Amino acid sequence: MQSALDHTLTALADPTRRAILQRLSSGEARVTDLAQPFAMSLNAVSKHIRMLERARLVQRRRMGREHFLSFNPKPLDEAAAWIETQRALWTARLDTLEALLQAEDRAAAAARKQGSNRRKR
Amino acid sequence: MAGSAAVTARVTRRFSASAERVFDAWLDPAKAGTFLFATATGQMVRVEIDARVGGKFVFVDRRDGEDVPHTGEYLEINRPRRLVFSLAVEKYSQDIDRVAIDIVPLASGCELTLTHEMRPDWVEHRDRIQAGWGEILEGLAQTLG
Repeated sequence: MQSALDHTLTALADPTRRAILQRLSSGEARVTDLAQPFAMSLNAVSKHIRMLERARLVQRRRMGREHFLSFNPKPLDEAAAWIETQRALWTARLDTLEALLQAEDRAAAAARKQGSNRRKR
Repeated sequence: MAGSAAVTARVTRRFSASAERVFDAWLDPAKAGTFLFATATGQMVRVEIDARVGGKFVFVDRRDGEDVPHTGEYLEINRPRRLVFSLAVEKYSQDIDRVAIDIVPLASGCELTLTHEMRPDWVEHRDRIQAGWGEILEGLAQTLG
């Protein structure tokens, strides 16, 4: 079972789907109007739209027999939040690594100093 | 672009230590267990590193009495410039991520760039691999049965 973020990323990993989102970001569109510019069957475009709906990036409303699709940016906010969390985690880990290595340097310097002090006597 | 990750977190940091020392810390269990997947309040209870391409690693951090394993496989080991590994934390997510470390030596110290990619195509790939193995095993069972 894939997490919600998986669905978002899978949805975004295709150029046709990204183009669909780009079109919808400027406003609602009918399914048929949306499919028109693509050099593929309506069926193929519908498959892409279903993936976007599964990721909640696209929402559908019915008006009689017409279906209108709109863009929902919330899943992208979740992706952005993931990036920020990971960056914070990795920054903290690398800070710890730097502290670790500097402590090693100080210990080595102290040991060398002790050694040279002993030799001077 | 097929196979590219849609979401990537990137961090760059300078170190006063040499590229070799910084690189080696990632594959040294004693050091890696201290900085890699440890938490301030948790306790790193197990670290196993098989430092070769195709080798696996396990880091188990005990948090509030619960063990959280971080597992993965080394994909590229190019000391001291580049280290790439897959990463899974099953307790939190079904994702298999990809982490790449690139180290550039400087006049003094080095600069490390870490790239953490979420790889949705890897999850699909994993399902395809599992399906493939299922077919092979079934075929084998039929041959032997």
